[in-house]
Amino acid sequence: MAVILIVEDDVFILELTEMVIQDWGYRTLSATDVGEALLLLRTSQDIDILFTDIYLKRAVLGGCELAQQAVKLRPKLQVLYTTGNFVTEEMKAQFVEGMHCLRKPYTPRQLQDSFEGLLAA
Amino acid sequence: MPDGARKEKAVSDIAASDIVETVPSALIILDRNLNITSANRAFYQTFRTSAAETEGCHIYDLGNRQWDIPALRTLLESVIPHRASVEGFEVEHNFPTIGQRTMLVNARKIFRPGDHDGFILLAIEDVSEERAARAESKRSRLLTQSIVDTIRDPLVVLENDMTIVTASRAFLTMFGITEAETHGRRISELGQHQWDVPALRHLMEKVLPENKPIENFEIEDDFSTLGRRVFNLNARKISQPGNHAHRMLLVFEDITDRKQRERDAQMLTNEISHRIKNNLQIVVGLIAFEAKRTAFPCVQGYKAMQARIAAIAQFYDLISQSSHGRTIAVDAYLREIANALTVSLLGNTSGITIEVKADALDIDPDHAVPFGLLVNELATNAIKHAFPDGTGHVVLSVQRVADQIELVVADDGIGMKDKDSAKVPEKRGSDYVAIFVRQLGGTILPSGSEEIGATIRIRLPLLLVPTEESEPIAV
Repeated sequence: MAVILIVEDDVFILELTEMVIQDWGYRTLSATDVGEALLLLRTSQDIDILFTDIYLKRAVLGGCELAQQAVKLRPKLQVLYTTGNFVTEEMKAQFVEGMHCLRKPYTPRQLQDSFEGLLAA
Repeated sequence: MPDGARKEKAVSDIAASDIVETVPSALIILDRNLNITSANRAFYQTFRTSAAETEGCHIYDLGNRQWDIPALRTLLESVIPHRASVEGFEVEHNFPTIGQRTMLVNARKIFRPGDHDGFILLAIEDVSEERAARAESKRSRLLTQSIVDTIRDPLVVLENDMTIVTASRAFLTMFGITEAETHGRRISELGQHQWDVPALRHLMEKVLPENKPIENFEIEDDFSTLGRRVFNLNARKISQPGNHAHRMLLVFEDITDRKQRERDAQMLTNEISHRIKNNLQIVVGLIAFEAKRTAFPCVQGYKAMQARIAAIAQFYDLISQSSHGRTIAVDAYLREIANALTVSLLGNTSGITIEVKADALDIDPDHAVPFGLLVNELATNAIKHAFPDGTGHVVLSVQRVADQIELVVADDGIGMKDKDSAKVPEKRGSDYVAIFVRQLGGTILPSGSEEIGATIRIRLPLLLVPTEESEPIAV
Protein backbone atom coordinates (compact mmCIF):
# COMPACT_ATOMS: atom_id res chain seq x y z
CA MET A 1 0.00 0.00 0.00
CA ALA A 2 1.55 3.29 -1.16
CA VAL A 3 2.16 5.99 1.42
CA ILE A 4 1.47 9.61 0.58
CA LEU A 5 2.77 12.54 2.60
CA ILE A 6 0.34 15.47 2.21
CA VAL A 7 1.71 18.93 3.02
CA GLU A 8 -1.02 21.56 3.04
CA ASP A 9 -1.29 24.70 5.19
CA ASP A 10 -5.11 24.78 5.01
CA VAL A 11 -6.17 22.19 7.58
CA PHE A 12 -9.66 21.77 6.14
CA ILE A 13 -8.29 20.98 2.67
CA LEU A 14 -5.71 18.71 4.31
CA GLU A 15 -8.34 16.64 6.08
CA LEU A 16 -10.70 16.47 3.09
CA THR A 17 -7.81 15.38 0.88
CA GLU A 18 -6.70 12.74 3.41
CA MET A 19 -10.21 11.28 3.49
CA VAL A 20 -10.42 11.09 -0.30
CA ILE A 21 -6.95 9.58 -0.63
CA GLN A 22 -7.57 7.01 2.08
CA ASP A 23 -10.76 5.98 0.26
CA TRP A 24 -8.56 4.99 -2.70
CA GLY A 25 -6.62 2.64 -0.44
CA TYR A 26 -3.48 4.70 0.13
CA ARG A 27 -1.99 5.39 3.54
CA THR A 28 -1.45 9.05 4.36
CA LEU A 29 0.83 11.18 6.50
CA SER A 30 0.21 14.87 6.89
CA ALA A 31 2.04 18.10 7.68
CA THR A 32 1.09 21.77 7.52
CA ASP A 33 4.51 23.31 6.89
CA VAL A 34 8.04 22.59 5.70
CA GLY A 35 9.39 21.86 9.18
CA GLU A 36 6.75 19.27 10.06
CA ALA A 37 7.16 17.60 6.70
CA LEU A 38 10.95 17.34 7.05
CA LEU A 39 10.56 15.73 10.48
CA LEU A 40 8.46 12.98 8.87
CA LEU A 41 10.81 12.66 5.92
CA ARG A 42 13.76 12.15 8.27
CA THR A 43 12.07 9.18 9.96
CA SER A 44 12.32 5.64 8.65
CA GLN A 45 8.67 5.53 7.60
CA ASP A 46 7.93 4.46 4.07
CA ILE A 47 6.85 7.42 1.92
CA ASP A 48 6.21 6.96 -1.81
CA ILE A 49 4.81 10.33 -2.81
CA LEU A 50 5.23 13.82 -1.43
CA PHE A 51 2.07 15.79 -2.30
CA THR A 52 2.77 19.38 -1.35
CA ASP A 53 1.21 22.76 -1.77
CA ILE A 54 3.79 25.26 -3.09
CA TYR A 55 2.62 28.29 -1.10
CA LEU A 56 2.99 27.13 2.50
CA LYS A 57 2.01 29.71 5.09
CA ARG A 58 4.49 32.61 4.64
CA ALA A 59 6.84 30.62 2.41
CA VAL A 60 5.81 31.59 -1.14
CA LEU A 61 7.85 28.77 -2.65
CA GLY A 62 7.94 26.63 0.51
CA GLY A 63 6.75 23.50 -1.32
CA CYS A 64 9.54 23.83 -3.89
CA GLU A 65 12.20 24.17 -1.19
CA LEU A 66 10.68 21.23 0.73
CA ALA A 67 10.72 18.98 -2.34
CA GLN A 68 14.36 19.80 -3.07
CA GLN A 69 15.37 18.80 0.45
CA ALA A 70 13.05 15.78 0.41
CA VAL A 71 14.59 14.22 -2.71
CA LYS A 72 18.03 14.70 -1.19
CA LEU A 73 16.85 12.72 1.85
CA ARG A 74 14.93 10.18 -0.23
CA PRO A 75 16.17 10.06 -3.84
CA LYS A 76 13.41 7.65 -4.94
CA LEU A 77 10.62 9.86 -3.64
CA GLN A 78 8.01 10.98 -6.21
CA VAL A 79 6.78 14.56 -5.96
CA LEU A 80 3.38 16.03 -6.80
CA TYR A 81 3.06 19.80 -6.36
CA THR A 82 -0.18 21.74 -6.15
CA THR A 83 -0.75 25.47 -6.29
CA GLY A 84 -3.55 27.98 -6.58
CA ASN A 85 -1.16 30.43 -8.20
CA PHE A 86 -0.06 30.64 -11.78
CA VAL A 87 2.97 28.42 -12.33
CA THR A 88 5.78 30.89 -12.93
CA GLU A 89 9.17 30.33 -14.54
CA GLU A 90 10.70 30.91 -11.10
CA MET A 91 8.63 28.01 -9.76
CA LYS A 92 9.47 25.77 -12.70
CA ALA A 93 13.18 26.43 -12.20
CA GLN A 94 12.86 24.98 -8.69
CA PHE A 95 10.81 21.91 -9.57
CA VAL A 96 12.55 18.61 -8.96
CA GLU A 97 13.01 16.26 -11.88
CA GLY A 98 10.14 13.94 -12.83
CA MET A 99 7.56 15.85 -10.81
CA HIS A 100 3.90 16.53 -11.59
CA CYS A 101 1.96 19.69 -10.74
CA LEU A 102 -1.80 20.02 -10.16
CA ARG A 103 -3.51 23.39 -10.28
CA LYS A 104 -6.06 24.14 -7.56
CA PRO A 105 -8.91 23.48 -7.50
CA TYR A 106 -8.20 19.94 -8.68
CA THR A 107 -10.85 17.25 -8.88
CA PRO A 108 -10.46 13.93 -7.05
CA ARG A 109 -10.20 12.27 -10.47
CA GLN A 110 -7.25 14.48 -11.45
CA LEU A 111 -5.55 13.77 -8.13
CA GLN A 112 -6.04 10.02 -8.45
CA ASP A 113 -4.73 10.03 -12.05
CA SER A 114 -1.65 11.94 -10.90
CA PHE A 115 -0.89 9.47 -8.09
CA GLU A 116 -1.35 6.51 -10.41
CA GLY A 117 0.93 8.11 -12.98
CA LEU A 118 3.67 8.74 -10.43
CA LEU A 119 3.46 5.28 -8.88
CA ALA A 120 3.61 3.67 -12.33
CA ALA A 121 6.73 5.68 -13.25
CA MET B 1 67.94 75.25 -74.13
CA PRO B 2 68.02 72.44 -71.60
CA ASP B 3 64.67 71.28 -70.19
CA GLY B 4 65.40 72.62 -66.68
CA ALA B 5 66.30 76.09 -67.90
CA ARG B 6 63.21 76.13 -70.17
CA LYS B 7 60.90 75.37 -67.23
CA GLU B 8 62.58 78.04 -65.12
CA LYS B 9 62.06 80.62 -67.82
CA ALA B 10 58.41 79.63 -68.19
CA VAL B 11 57.86 80.18 -64.47
CA SER B 12 59.63 83.53 -64.45
CA ASP B 13 57.44 84.63 -67.36
CA ILE B 14 54.37 84.42 -65.09
CA ALA B 15 53.88 87.93 -63.82
CA ALA B 16 53.42 88.48 -60.07
CA SER B 17 50.24 90.35 -60.91
CA ASP B 18 48.79 87.15 -62.44
CA ILE B 19 49.34 85.32 -59.18
CA VAL B 20 47.91 88.18 -57.15
CA GLU B 21 44.78 88.26 -59.28
CA THR B 22 44.31 84.51 -59.03
CA VAL B 23 44.52 83.89 -55.29
CA PRO B 24 41.15 83.84 -53.47
CA SER B 25 42.37 86.00 -50.55
CA ALA B 26 41.88 89.76 -50.70
CA LEU B 27 45.31 91.43 -51.03
CA ILE B 28 46.29 95.07 -50.69
CA ILE B 29 49.65 96.77 -50.73
CA LEU B 30 50.23 99.83 -48.57
CA ASP B 31 53.11 102.26 -48.70
CA ARG B 32 54.90 103.48 -45.58
CA ASN B 33 52.18 106.13 -45.07
CA LEU B 34 49.48 103.47 -45.22
CA ASN B 35 48.21 104.66 -48.59
CA ILE B 36 46.94 101.88 -50.80
CA THR B 37 49.16 101.42 -53.81
CA SER B 38 47.24 98.48 -55.26
CA ALA B 39 44.68 95.75 -54.44
CA ASN B 40 43.61 92.58 -56.19
CA ARG B 41 40.28 91.54 -57.69
CA ALA B 42 39.35 89.44 -54.63
CA PHE B 43 39.64 92.57 -52.47
CA TYR B 44 37.34 94.60 -54.71
CA GLN B 45 34.80 91.78 -54.84
CA THR B 46 34.85 91.06 -51.13
CA PHE B 47 34.51 94.68 -50.05
CA ARG B 48 32.38 95.84 -53.00
CA THR B 49 34.71 98.58 -54.11
CA SER B 50 36.81 99.43 -57.19
CA ALA B 51 40.40 100.26 -58.12
CA ALA B 52 39.44 103.91 -58.73
CA GLU B 53 38.01 104.27 -55.22
CA THR B 54 40.88 102.40 -53.66
CA GLU B 55 44.28 103.12 -55.18
CA GLY B 56 46.04 106.14 -53.68
CA CYS B 57 43.53 106.28 -50.84
CA HIS B 58 44.66 106.12 -47.24
CA ILE B 59 43.60 102.84 -45.71
CA TYR B 60 41.61 104.55 -42.97
CA ASP B 61 39.84 106.85 -45.44
CA LEU B 62 38.78 104.00 -47.67
CA GLY B 63 35.01 103.52 -48.12
CA ASN B 64 33.86 106.40 -45.96
CA ARG B 65 36.40 105.48 -43.23
CA GLN B 66 34.96 102.05 -42.70
CA TRP B 67 38.52 100.69 -42.43
CA ASP B 68 39.36 102.98 -39.55
CA ILE B 69 39.19 100.08 -37.18
CA PRO B 70 40.94 100.18 -33.80
CA ALA B 71 42.19 96.60 -34.20
CA LEU B 72 43.61 97.36 -37.63
CA ARG B 73 45.25 100.50 -36.33
CA THR B 74 46.90 98.39 -33.64
CA LEU B 75 48.20 96.00 -36.27
CA LEU B 76 49.49 98.62 -38.65
CA GLU B 77 50.83 101.17 -36.17
CA SER B 78 52.02 99.12 -33.25
CA VAL B 79 52.73 95.60 -34.46
CA ILE B 80 54.01 95.86 -38.03
CA PRO B 81 56.70 98.52 -37.32
CA HIS B 82 58.41 96.04 -35.01
CA ARG B 83 57.94 92.80 -36.92
CA ALA B 84 58.63 91.65 -40.45
CA SER B 85 55.40 89.71 -40.63
CA VAL B 86 52.22 88.99 -38.70
CA GLU B 87 49.92 86.02 -39.27
CA GLY B 88 46.39 85.27 -38.20
CA PHE B 89 45.55 88.69 -36.77
CA GLU B 90 41.80 88.62 -36.24
CA VAL B 91 39.74 91.72 -36.95
CA GLU B 92 36.02 91.75 -36.26
CA HIS B 93 34.12 94.71 -37.65
CA ASN B 94 30.72 95.81 -38.86
CA PHE B 95 31.37 97.11 -42.39
CA PRO B 96 28.64 99.44 -43.68
CA THR B 97 28.81 97.82 -47.12
CA ILE B 98 28.99 94.12 -46.22
CA GLY B 99 27.86 93.97 -42.62
CA GLN B 100 29.42 92.19 -39.63
CA ARG B 101 32.55 90.34 -40.69
CA THR B 102 35.45 88.52 -39.08
CA MET B 103 38.67 88.94 -41.02
CA LEU B 104 41.92 87.07 -40.61
CA VAL B 105 44.77 89.37 -41.63
CA ASN B 106 48.30 88.27 -42.56
CA ALA B 107 50.78 91.14 -42.98
CA ARG B 108 54.30 91.16 -44.41
CA LYS B 109 56.80 93.97 -45.01
CA ILE B 110 58.21 93.98 -48.53
CA PHE B 111 61.41 95.73 -49.51
CA ARG B 112 62.55 96.38 -53.06
CA PRO B 113 66.25 96.78 -53.80
CA GLY B 114 67.30 100.33 -52.87
CA ASP B 115 63.96 101.09 -51.24
CA HIS B 116 64.38 101.31 -47.50
CA ASP B 117 60.86 102.34 -46.71
CA GLY B 118 59.30 99.27 -48.20
CA PHE B 119 55.64 98.30 -48.51
CA ILE B 120 53.17 96.35 -46.45
CA LEU B 121 51.33 93.46 -48.06
CA LEU B 122 48.06 92.64 -46.35
CA ALA B 123 46.28 89.36 -47.12
CA ILE B 124 42.75 89.48 -45.78
CA GLU B 125 40.67 86.34 -45.48
CA ASP B 126 36.96 86.55 -44.69
CA VAL B 127 36.42 83.84 -42.04
CA SER B 128 32.99 85.10 -40.98
CA GLU B 129 31.12 81.99 -42.10
CA GLU B 130 33.60 79.61 -40.52
CA ARG B 131 33.48 81.54 -37.24
CA ALA B 132 29.67 81.64 -37.39
CA ALA B 133 29.58 77.88 -38.01
CA ARG B 134 31.97 77.31 -35.13
CA ALA B 135 29.87 79.51 -32.85
CA GLU B 136 26.73 77.69 -33.96
CA SER B 137 28.38 74.36 -33.26
CA LYS B 138 29.37 75.56 -29.81
CA ARG B 139 25.85 76.85 -29.14
CA SER B 140 24.45 73.56 -30.39
CA ARG B 141 26.81 71.59 -28.14
CA LEU B 142 25.87 73.73 -25.15
CA LEU B 143 22.20 73.33 -25.97
CA THR B 144 22.61 69.55 -26.26
CA GLN B 145 24.48 69.43 -22.98
CA SER B 146 21.77 71.58 -21.36
CA ILE B 147 19.09 69.22 -22.63
CA VAL B 148 21.12 66.20 -21.52
CA ASP B 149 21.56 67.77 -18.09
CA THR B 150 17.85 68.46 -17.70
CA ILE B 151 16.86 64.85 -18.49
CA ARG B 152 16.14 63.21 -15.18
CA ASP B 153 17.27 59.75 -16.27
CA PRO B 154 21.04 59.36 -16.08
CA LEU B 155 22.65 58.89 -19.47
CA VAL B 156 26.06 58.57 -21.03
CA VAL B 157 27.40 58.84 -24.56
CA LEU B 158 29.85 56.12 -25.48
CA GLU B 159 32.49 55.81 -28.14
CA ASN B 160 32.84 52.80 -30.40
CA ASP B 161 35.16 51.17 -27.84
CA MET B 162 32.58 51.63 -25.04
CA THR B 163 34.52 54.42 -23.37
CA ILE B 164 32.50 57.33 -22.02
CA VAL B 165 32.56 60.57 -24.01
CA THR B 166 30.15 62.45 -21.82
CA ALA B 167 27.94 61.74 -18.84
CA SER B 168 24.87 63.70 -17.86
CA ARG B 169 24.67 65.57 -14.58
CA ALA B 170 21.97 63.11 -13.44
CA PHE B 171 24.38 60.23 -14.08
CA LEU B 172 27.18 61.86 -12.10
CA THR B 173 24.84 62.76 -9.25
CA MET B 174 23.16 59.38 -9.06
CA PHE B 175 26.36 57.35 -9.03
CA GLY B 176 28.31 59.88 -6.93
CA ILE B 177 31.19 60.29 -9.36
CA THR B 178 32.87 63.20 -11.09
CA GLU B 179 33.07 63.89 -14.79
CA ALA B 180 36.83 63.30 -14.64
CA GLU B 181 36.23 59.83 -13.21
CA THR B 182 33.99 58.89 -16.13
CA HIS B 183 35.67 60.50 -19.12
CA GLY B 184 37.54 57.97 -21.24
CA ARG B 185 36.68 55.04 -18.97
CA ARG B 186 34.76 52.02 -20.07
CA ILE B 187 31.23 51.70 -18.74
CA SER B 188 32.09 48.21 -17.47
CA GLU B 189 34.80 49.67 -15.22
CA LEU B 190 32.52 51.97 -13.27
CA GLY B 191 31.35 51.39 -9.69
CA GLN B 192 31.67 47.81 -8.55
CA HIS B 193 31.52 46.62 -12.18
CA GLN B 194 27.71 46.38 -12.01
CA TRP B 195 27.47 47.02 -15.73
CA ASP B 196 30.04 44.37 -16.56
CA VAL B 197 27.40 41.83 -17.52
CA PRO B 198 28.21 39.50 -20.45
CA ALA B 199 24.66 39.64 -21.86
CA LEU B 200 24.68 43.45 -21.76
CA ARG B 201 28.18 43.60 -23.26
CA HIS B 202 27.05 41.30 -26.03
CA LEU B 203 24.04 43.53 -26.81
CA MET B 204 26.09 46.72 -26.62
CA GLU B 205 28.57 45.37 -29.11
CA LYS B 206 25.73 45.10 -31.63
CA VAL B 207 24.30 48.59 -31.18
CA LEU B 208 26.78 50.40 -33.42
CA PRO B 209 27.78 47.88 -36.12
CA GLU B 210 24.29 46.39 -36.55
CA ASN B 211 22.26 49.44 -35.48
CA LYS B 212 20.34 47.26 -33.02
CA PRO B 213 19.01 49.28 -30.11
CA ILE B 214 18.87 47.82 -26.60
CA GLU B 215 15.39 48.01 -25.13
CA ASN B 216 14.72 47.61 -21.42
CA PHE B 217 17.70 45.48 -20.37
CA GLU B 218 17.11 45.01 -16.66
CA ILE B 219 19.93 44.97 -14.13
CA GLU B 220 19.42 44.58 -10.39
CA ASP B 221 22.40 44.99 -8.08
CA ASP B 222 23.79 46.60 -4.96
CA PHE B 223 25.36 50.02 -5.52
CA SER B 224 27.69 51.43 -2.89
CA THR B 225 26.07 54.87 -2.82
CA LEU B 226 22.50 53.83 -3.63
CA GLY B 227 21.84 50.45 -2.08
CA ARG B 228 19.95 47.81 -4.02
CA ARG B 229 18.57 49.20 -7.25
CA VAL B 230 16.91 48.00 -10.43
CA PHE B 231 17.75 49.77 -13.68
CA ASN B 232 16.32 49.49 -17.15
CA LEU B 233 18.99 50.14 -19.75
CA ASN B 234 18.17 51.48 -23.20
CA ALA B 235 20.78 52.18 -25.84
CA ARG B 236 20.76 53.38 -29.42
CA LYS B 237 23.14 54.57 -32.06
CA ILE B 238 23.46 58.30 -32.56
CA SER B 239 24.90 59.83 -35.72
CA GLN B 240 25.71 63.37 -36.70
CA PRO B 241 24.94 64.46 -40.27
CA GLY B 242 28.14 64.58 -42.28
CA ASN B 243 30.12 62.81 -39.60
CA HIS B 244 31.05 59.18 -40.10
CA ALA B 245 31.85 58.59 -36.44
CA HIS B 246 28.98 56.95 -34.56
CA ARG B 247 28.37 56.98 -30.88
CA MET B 248 25.99 55.27 -28.52
CA LEU B 249 23.51 56.88 -26.18
CA LEU B 250 22.97 54.74 -23.08
CA VAL B 251 20.12 55.71 -20.76
CA PHE B 252 19.69 54.33 -17.25
CA GLU B 253 16.11 54.30 -15.99
CA ASP B 254 15.81 53.69 -12.27
CA ILE B 255 12.79 51.38 -11.96
CA THR B 256 13.43 50.31 -8.37
CA ASP B 257 10.21 51.83 -7.00
CA ARG B 258 8.10 50.61 -9.92
CA LYS B 259 9.60 47.14 -9.55
CA GLN B 260 8.85 47.13 -5.85
CA ARG B 261 5.23 48.17 -6.52
CA GLU B 262 4.94 45.38 -9.09
CA ARG B 263 6.39 42.88 -6.64
CA ASP B 264 4.03 44.06 -3.89
CA ALA B 265 1.07 43.81 -6.28
CA GLN B 266 2.22 40.36 -7.41
CA MET B 267 2.57 39.23 -3.80
CA LEU B 268 -0.94 40.49 -3.04
CA THR B 269 -2.30 38.79 -6.15
CA ASN B 270 -0.58 35.55 -5.15
CA GLU B 271 -1.97 35.79 -1.64
CA ILE B 272 -5.52 36.47 -2.86
CA SER B 273 -5.26 33.80 -5.53
CA HIS B 274 -3.95 31.32 -2.94
CA ARG B 275 -6.93 31.99 -0.68
CA ILE B 276 -9.54 31.93 -3.47
CA LYS B 277 -8.19 28.71 -4.92
CA ASN B 278 -8.03 27.12 -1.48
CA ASN B 279 -11.68 28.08 -0.95
CA LEU B 280 -12.62 26.65 -4.34
CA GLN B 281 -10.62 23.54 -3.46
CA ILE B 282 -12.71 23.19 -0.31
CA VAL B 283 -15.91 23.48 -2.40
CA VAL B 284 -14.64 20.85 -4.83
CA GLY B 285 -13.63 18.64 -1.87
CA LEU B 286 -17.04 19.02 -0.25
CA ILE B 287 -18.79 18.15 -3.51
CA ALA B 288 -16.56 15.07 -3.79
CA PHE B 289 -17.46 14.15 -0.23
CA GLU B 290 -21.21 14.53 -0.96
CA ALA B 291 -20.88 12.63 -4.24
CA LYS B 292 -19.68 9.58 -2.33
CA ARG B 293 -22.88 9.48 -0.31
CA THR B 294 -25.35 10.15 -3.07
CA ALA B 295 -27.17 7.87 -5.50
CA PHE B 296 -25.30 7.04 -8.70
CA PRO B 297 -27.48 9.12 -11.08
CA CYS B 298 -26.51 12.24 -9.17
CA VAL B 299 -22.78 11.51 -9.21
CA GLN B 300 -22.35 12.71 -12.81
CA GLY B 301 -23.97 16.01 -11.86
CA TYR B 302 -21.58 16.46 -8.97
CA LYS B 303 -18.63 15.66 -11.20
CA ALA B 304 -19.81 18.16 -13.83
CA MET B 305 -20.12 20.75 -11.06
CA GLN B 306 -16.55 20.07 -9.97
CA ALA B 307 -15.34 20.46 -13.54
CA ARG B 308 -17.11 23.80 -13.96
CA ILE B 309 -15.69 25.15 -10.71
CA ALA B 310 -12.23 24.09 -11.87
CA ALA B 311 -12.89 25.77 -15.23
CA ILE B 312 -13.89 29.07 -13.60
CA ALA B 313 -10.71 29.00 -11.49
CA GLN B 314 -8.64 28.34 -14.58
CA PHE B 315 -10.31 31.15 -16.52
CA TYR B 316 -9.36 33.63 -13.83
CA ASP B 317 -5.75 32.49 -14.19
CA LEU B 318 -5.96 32.70 -17.96
CA ILE B 319 -7.49 36.15 -17.83
CA SER B 320 -4.71 37.41 -15.58
CA GLN B 321 -2.08 35.89 -17.86
CA SER B 322 -3.61 36.67 -21.28
CA SER B 323 -4.65 40.17 -20.40
CA HIS B 324 -2.61 43.03 -21.84
CA GLY B 325 -3.98 46.15 -20.26
CA ARG B 326 -7.75 46.27 -20.45
CA THR B 327 -8.28 43.47 -22.98
CA ILE B 328 -7.54 39.77 -23.43
CA ALA B 329 -6.17 38.24 -26.62
CA VAL B 330 -8.80 35.78 -27.82
CA ASP B 331 -6.45 33.43 -29.64
CA ALA B 332 -4.25 32.98 -26.55
CA TYR B 333 -7.34 32.58 -24.38
CA LEU B 334 -8.84 29.89 -26.64
CA ARG B 335 -5.53 28.03 -26.77
CA GLU B 336 -5.34 27.97 -22.99
CA ILE B 337 -8.94 26.73 -22.78
CA ALA B 338 -8.06 24.00 -25.29
CA ASN B 339 -5.00 23.05 -23.24
CA ALA B 340 -7.07 22.97 -20.04
CA LEU B 341 -9.67 20.72 -21.71
CA THR B 342 -6.96 18.44 -23.02
CA VAL B 343 -5.39 18.09 -19.58
CA SER B 344 -8.65 17.67 -17.65
CA LEU B 345 -10.73 15.59 -20.07
CA LEU B 346 -8.44 13.97 -22.60
CA GLY B 347 -4.93 13.37 -21.31
CA ASN B 348 -1.85 12.84 -23.45
CA THR B 349 -2.91 9.51 -24.92
CA SER B 350 -6.35 10.54 -26.15
CA GLY B 351 -7.26 10.16 -29.81
CA ILE B 352 -9.28 13.38 -29.67
CA THR B 353 -7.50 16.58 -30.65
CA ILE B 354 -8.53 20.23 -30.24
CA GLU B 355 -7.55 22.89 -32.75
CA VAL B 356 -7.88 26.67 -32.33
CA LYS B 357 -8.43 29.15 -35.17
CA ALA B 358 -8.88 32.76 -34.16
CA ASP B 359 -8.67 36.18 -35.75
CA ALA B 360 -6.51 38.76 -34.02
CA LEU B 361 -9.26 39.95 -31.70
CA ASP B 362 -9.38 41.06 -28.12
CA ILE B 363 -12.09 40.51 -25.54
CA ASP B 364 -13.30 42.68 -22.74
CA PRO B 365 -12.30 41.05 -19.40
CA ASP B 366 -15.85 41.55 -18.07
CA HIS B 367 -17.09 39.07 -20.68
CA ALA B 368 -14.16 36.70 -20.54
CA VAL B 369 -15.53 34.29 -17.92
CA PRO B 370 -18.98 33.67 -19.51
CA PHE B 371 -17.29 33.50 -22.92
CA GLY B 372 -14.78 30.95 -21.58
CA LEU B 373 -17.52 28.94 -19.91
CA LEU B 374 -19.52 28.94 -23.17
CA VAL B 375 -16.54 27.61 -25.13
CA ASN B 376 -15.81 25.14 -22.36
CA GLU B 377 -19.38 23.85 -22.35
CA LEU B 378 -19.60 23.41 -26.13
CA ALA B 379 -16.18 21.79 -26.38
CA THR B 380 -16.91 19.50 -23.43
CA ASN B 381 -20.18 18.44 -25.08
CA ALA B 382 -18.35 17.61 -28.30
CA ILE B 383 -15.64 15.67 -26.50
CA LYS B 384 -18.15 13.70 -24.43
CA HIS B 385 -20.76 12.95 -27.08
CA ALA B 386 -19.29 13.15 -30.57
CA PHE B 387 -16.64 10.46 -30.45
CA PRO B 388 -17.89 7.10 -29.10
CA ASP B 389 -14.82 5.41 -30.57
CA GLY B 390 -12.48 7.85 -28.78
CA THR B 391 -10.96 9.51 -31.85
CA GLY B 392 -11.79 12.78 -33.55
CA HIS B 393 -11.07 16.43 -34.02
CA VAL B 394 -12.67 19.51 -32.45
CA VAL B 395 -12.13 23.00 -33.86
CA LEU B 396 -12.69 26.12 -31.77
CA SER B 397 -12.79 29.21 -33.95
CA VAL B 398 -13.57 32.88 -33.51
CA GLN B 399 -13.82 35.35 -36.34
CA ARG B 400 -15.22 38.80 -36.90
CA VAL B 401 -18.25 38.92 -39.19
CA ALA B 402 -19.24 42.53 -39.94
CA ASP B 403 -20.04 44.09 -36.57
CA GLN B 404 -20.45 40.75 -34.83
CA ILE B 405 -18.30 37.93 -33.60
CA GLU B 406 -18.92 34.36 -34.67
CA LEU B 407 -17.89 31.58 -32.34
CA VAL B 408 -17.85 28.17 -34.00
CA VAL B 409 -17.30 24.85 -32.25
CA ALA B 410 -17.15 22.09 -34.84
CA ASP B 411 -16.35 18.38 -34.59
CA ASP B 412 -15.97 15.53 -37.06
CA GLY B 413 -17.82 13.06 -34.86
CA ILE B 414 -21.10 11.20 -35.24
CA GLY B 415 -23.21 14.34 -35.62
CA MET B 416 -26.38 15.36 -33.82
CA LYS B 417 -29.35 13.02 -33.92
CA ASP B 418 -31.90 15.72 -33.19
CA LYS B 419 -32.94 17.54 -36.36
CA ASP B 420 -34.02 20.64 -34.51
CA SER B 421 -30.50 21.99 -34.43
CA ALA B 422 -31.34 25.29 -32.74
CA LYS B 423 -32.25 23.39 -29.60
CA VAL B 424 -29.48 20.89 -29.85
CA PRO B 425 -26.91 22.51 -27.57
CA GLU B 426 -29.33 22.41 -24.69
CA LYS B 427 -30.27 18.83 -25.43
CA ARG B 428 -26.66 17.81 -25.67
CA GLY B 429 -26.33 18.03 -21.96
CA SER B 430 -26.35 21.60 -20.90
CA ASP B 431 -28.82 24.39 -20.47
CA TYR B 432 -25.82 26.47 -19.59
CA VAL B 433 -25.00 27.17 -23.24
CA ALA B 434 -28.27 29.02 -23.70
CA ILE B 435 -27.73 30.89 -20.42
CA PHE B 436 -24.22 32.00 -21.37
CA VAL B 437 -25.36 33.05 -24.87
CA ARG B 438 -28.16 35.11 -23.36
CA GLN B 439 -25.74 36.59 -20.83
CA LEU B 440 -23.44 37.67 -23.65
CA GLY B 441 -26.38 39.05 -25.69
CA GLY B 442 -25.83 36.59 -28.56
CA THR B 443 -27.85 34.14 -30.62
CA ILE B 444 -27.35 30.51 -31.59
CA LEU B 445 -27.51 30.17 -35.37
CA PRO B 446 -29.39 27.27 -36.93
CA SER B 447 -26.79 24.78 -38.02
CA GLY B 448 -26.40 23.77 -41.66
CA SER B 449 -26.69 20.19 -42.81
CA GLU B 450 -23.13 19.12 -42.08
CA GLU B 451 -22.08 15.94 -43.81
CA ILE B 452 -19.61 15.18 -41.09
CA GLY B 453 -19.98 15.80 -37.38
CA ALA B 454 -21.68 18.77 -35.79
CA THR B 455 -21.11 22.50 -35.94
CA ILE B 456 -22.46 25.01 -33.46
CA ARG B 457 -22.38 28.66 -34.58
CA ILE B 458 -23.02 31.46 -32.16
CA ARG B 459 -23.19 35.13 -33.07
CA LEU B 460 -22.15 37.52 -30.34
CA PRO B 461 -22.29 41.29 -30.27
CA LEU B 462 -19.10 43.24 -30.52
CA LEU B 463 -17.98 42.46 -27.03
CA LEU B 464 -14.72 41.53 -28.70
CA VAL B 465 -12.74 44.41 -30.09
CA PRO B 466 -10.12 44.41 -32.84
CA THR B 467 -6.54 44.41 -31.61
CA GLU B 468 -5.55 47.64 -33.38
CA GLU B 469 -8.30 49.60 -31.64
CA SER B 470 -7.23 48.43 -28.24
CA GLU B 471 -3.55 49.16 -28.66
CA PRO B 472 -2.38 52.20 -26.71
CA ILE B 473 -1.14 55.04 -28.87
CA ALA B 474 2.64 55.10 -28.91
CA VAL B 475 4.19 58.35 -27.74
